[in-house]
Amino acid sequence: MTLSEVTGISGEAGDFRVSVKQNPRYIDMNRCIACGECAAKCPKKVDDEFNAGINKRRAAYIKYGQAVPLKYAIDAANCIYLARGKCRACEKFCPTDAIDFEDKEKNVDVNVGSVILAPGWSPFDPKGVDYLGCAESPDIVTSMEYERLLSASGPCMGHLKRPSDSREPKKIAWLQCVGSRNLNRCDNAYCSSVCCMYAIKQALVTAEHLEGDDLSQTVFYMDIRSHGKEFDRYFEKAQADGVNFVRARPHTIEPGKDGTGVTMRYTLDDGKVVVEDFDMAVLSVGLEASKDALSLADTFGIALDEFRFAQTSSFAPVASSREGVFVTGAFQAPKAIPRSVAEASAAAADAARLLTAAKGTLTRSKSYPREKDLAGQQPRVGVFVCSCGINIAGVVDVKEVVAYAEGLPHVVYAENNLFSCSADTQDLIAKRIEEHNLNRIVVAACTPRTHEPLFQDTLREAGLNAYLIEMANIRNQNAWVHQNAPEAATAKAKDQVRMAVAKAALDYPLARDAVPVTQKALVIGGGLAGMGAALNLADQGFEAVLLEKDARLGGNAWHLDTTPKGEPVRPMLEEMIQRTENHANIKVLKNAALKSATGSVGQFVSKIAVDGQTRAVTYGAAVLATGARESVPTEYGYGEDARILTHLEFDRKLREDAAQLGQAQSAVFIQCVGSREPNRPYCSRVCCTHTVKSAIHLKTLNPAMNVYVLYRDMRTYGLNEILYQKARDLGVIFIRYDVDQKPAVAIEGADLKVTVDDPIVQRPLKIDTDLLVLAAAIEPHASDELIALYKCGVNADGFLNEAHPKLRPVDMAVDGLFVAGLCNYPKPVDESIEQAKAAAARAATVLSQEAMQLDAIKSFVTDDCDGCALCLDVCPYRAIKLEEQATEGNGQVHKRIVTDKALCKGCGLCAATCPKGGVHVHGFTLDQLKAQVSAALVDVV
Amino acid sequence: MNTAIELEKAPTSRFKDKVMELLPEGGNLNACLTCGACAAGCPASGLENMDPRKLLRMAALGMDDELLSTDWCWMCSMCQRCIYVCPMQIDIPQLVFQIRKSHPRGERPKGIINSCDMALRNDTCSAMGATEEDWRFVVEDVADEVRESQAGFEDLQVPMDKSGATYFLNQNSREPVTEPDEMIPLWKILHLAGADWTYGSKGWAAENYCLFAADEENWEKIVRTKAKAVDDLGCKVWLNTE
Repeated sequence: MTLSEVTGISGEAGDFRVSVKQNPRYIDMNRCIACGECAAKCPKKVDDEFNAGINKRRAAYIKYGQAVPLKYAIDAANCIYLARGKCRACEKFCPTDAIDFEDKEKNVDVNVGSVILAPGWSPFDPKGVDYLGCAESPDIVTSMEYERLLSASGPCMGHLKRPSDSREPKKIAWLQCVGSRNLNRCDNAYCSSVCCMYAIKQALVTAEHLEGDDLSQTVFYMDIRSHGKEFDRYFEKAQADGVNFVRARPHTIEPGKDGTGVTMRYTLDDGKVVVEDFDMAVLSVGLEASKDALSLADTFGIALDEFRFAQTSSFAPVASSREGVFVTGAFQAPKAIPRSVAEASAAAADAARLLTAAKGTLTRSKSYPREKDLAGQQPRVGVFVCSCGINIAGVVDVKEVVAYAEGLPHVVYAENNLFSCSADTQDLIAKRIEEHNLNRIVVAACTPRTHEPLFQDTLREAGLNAYLIEMANIRNQNAWVHQNAPEAATAKAKDQVRMAVAKAALDYPLARDAVPVTQKALVIGGGLAGMGAALNLADQGFEAVLLEKDARLGGNAWHLDTTPKGEPVRPMLEEMIQRTENHANIKVLKNAALKSATGSVGQFVSKIAVDGQTRAVTYGAAVLATGARESVPTEYGYGEDARILTHLEFDRKLREDAAQLGQAQSAVFIQCVGSREPNRPYCSRVCCTHTVKSAIHLKTLNPAMNVYVLYRDMRTYGLNEILYQKARDLGVIFIRYDVDQKPAVAIEGADLKVTVDDPIVQRPLKIDTDLLVLAAAIEPHASDELIALYKCGVNADGFLNEAHPKLRPVDMAVDGLFVAGLCNYPKPVDESIEQAKAAAARAATVLSQEAMQLDAIKSFVTDDCDGCALCLDVCPYRAIKLEEQATEGNGQVHKRIVTDKALCKGCGLCAATCPKGGVHVHGFTLDQLKAQVSAALVDVV
Repeated sequence: MNTAIELEKAPTSRFKDKVMELLPEGGNLNACLTCGACAAGCPASGLENMDPRKLLRMAALGMDDELLSTDWCWMCSMCQRCIYVCPMQIDIPQLVFQIRKSHPRGERPKGIINSCDMALRNDTCSAMGATEEDWRFVVEDVADEVRESQAGFEDLQVPMDKSGATYFLNQNSREPVTEPDEMIPLWKILHLAGADWTYGSKGWAAENYCLFAADEENWEKIVRTKAKAVDDLGCKVWLNTE
């Protein structure tokens, strides 16, 4: 429901009634084919908010090219007709009569069991902050504006120009923490979490967009917070590529001398003041709760925190204060895409858990007529040539293409449609199939990526197999790119249609196989993440087998004292363990080891050894949550003195004898012990927050204690920044060190001394301390066995890899495998629980089906395969195995490949590699491709 | 990097802690992120190898001897550019003030102390020592000249001790003493605006060097003298051009 807002909610978890006001679109979505005629003819120009007002859009518009649904809308506030009663130009030119000025606001009530709130965020507006200079120079832009200036789909088409004089800027500065980590004329004390990475990205992309030797990008920052997976590598690449990182906040941004560019003054660590000019300045603005989000929170009556983000607990990170209402994304707290997407799945998991009883009750399935039997029939091809309004017909002579198509072999019918994709044309195609007994269809229109499913559905409704369609893309690949050569374009369209017809004649019905699904999950690892995933799946009604290598569940959480929010971990952990062990749907196997894994998504089989006994488990999906561990420091005197502890050792001491810790007069924390170093080049993500939390704890035990934190970049991202601020307010002293000038620890008799250079006073500090706490890196467990068993992947640091960091953050590259917790990357309690729920939600998409429908475009083996196995190496999905088979008749053994339909994605690398025609892909056989190529070359060869 | 600073275990009462007790919210003195925005905007950065960030850092590290002995505290102009942009709104100017205050009066810079003392000599509060007679004479003399020589300002009024005027205007005594013509532009503006204003023969000097001298007692005394002059004439608004 687009253009809609929630106006009220009543009821309770499991049975809410939500009132929704749907504002009029003035365009009928069923009729709109997104041809863009309305916008082209609309005379009213409006600032384009998507492009930060840099360019204009019309009052009839789509927000951006990738909008979903791809349907135009009329902006009532700006439409001339709706405001003043005259115009209606769009209505006159709309080819499908989709404009509906009679459209009215609708009020709809929906009955739902659970609600997910994902209203997003707003960028901080720096206009009111005079020293940032937005009002003084057009060449000072926000990062949001710069993003559009830089975008290939933005107003500059990717050709970066600065606003003042439209010249290409050579020298650009980014200013971090604008509207974040700031209490002065701004209430955003938190870190926005994402700005460091987007600034680095913008700096690197800028270098790609510009040419010349005189380019420079400078990022002014306080701490670089590249705390996500692979983020530090990206930061290091930017440094290696020449992006300047300057640890300084300039005072005032002033316009350049001639009215273009900017000039600013900043101070280096040693006190040297630099005045520098830049062609442009980009303000890396932070994230805030949007006004809409606040009114939504008000409507739903959910609690917000002091920064107006939704209040959640670390143990239920997507549950709002109202039962049955879940929150996700930057509305919960500022966060980057990977965590937002994982959190979205977590919210889905919690929402689904609440809906378990109602699961499947509203499912409707579409029925189709029985497929016609084409056995013995010659191909009878029907060709439908689309005008796409004027998109195609404005360049290609479509009538001529139709006439040409009529003369092609096997073609018994051809016609032209204004819009082949419109609903009435679908009816027409079905009718023509009937009238002319067509058994192959060619649609010469746009791209199969967006439109093939639509036409496949039309074929099925007409009783034809869905795979008897070919599309010739005479729009994107022809009319759009040959606008100035209509005759050649028409000739090319004929070529494209001829190729499609040639292939269509060889199309044959394909069946979509179904793989039966064992509706049970295997969860490997019994820590917070593993238990979280198992519990959610079990609560959703799925059986789960939880495999734990140790004698008890709980993993690293046993060693944690409190979460950053101050919640004690132990009671939550004990409750979770109890629920897990007593859950009717969970089978807990302790002291267990995975011995084998065969099969694929829907039907894996594993042998599991428990106390020396081996048992087999069949499961449809698996969640890998094998955890990680605190590394053992090899520096700073660790192991030589009882006063030198790691974080987890410190937490244990805190639990066992806090009073004794409180007696210390001085404590030193050293950060990045074993992290962000050549042998472990990643950030361990949790240590900065753990340190500030611990430092606060010490200061609370003994306010007079001198507490020092020696750090490289403080990475208390998001709301953790508040702890960093609190620690400073309590008098904890933070001292930055460089990795090539690390602190030195000396045990001098009874004294423990730490020496570090202070960058600001430019002198060494020699700290006499009673306690030294080392932020030891988190390192992954060896995962060679898992990798060997599941053929899954790890990154260079040994953390299990997700299929895509942003789009599929908890899926693994192997279908049916999901990942959660520390084994994927270091993360705190709340993020582990989030990821566990997310993995459960994703696993449930497999487990909720009794059988998985597969695509029909899959590889298949022919008798010509001689088992040479060349294809095994090229298959990216490990879908091919080599097997020994007995040859019929003579009983001799020969080798032949077998493909796994559940794993095969139909990419065709095997077929392209095979020298013998031993393996093909349905729908793209060599014969079909050869016919297409021969048709293309008919005039040449 | 030179000699190491020894940070002893035993908690020491630092100068910074004493200052924090005096200020609301402790002046946020602990909150520093060492970002350097203050130092970047400070006109005194670099003098005496010092800047506001370094000064605060020395305070945080308990380097009290060096903190209290640096002459840099007298180079600060109290312009507040540092706190204006500080993300943590740290009251560095107050830290500087307290450092000044810690210096014995006799050891504070002579120029500032002498100006403070001069202002205390009579009720004009002029740091240049201008008396009520000098002041009245210069104003009247310059005003006469304007009325005679400048077209359109024949009726220019420069009221002195006008009871019940809306605005009581102060004037930095540098102008009447050394650059009297520089008073004219403001007079013209007030004339053209039709403002109801007045100078006073007492408490008219805008400057207050006792503030800069961190002499709180005399700073207050001068402010009270000036305020009394405004009250005595029954003016509504006290305009100080400093």
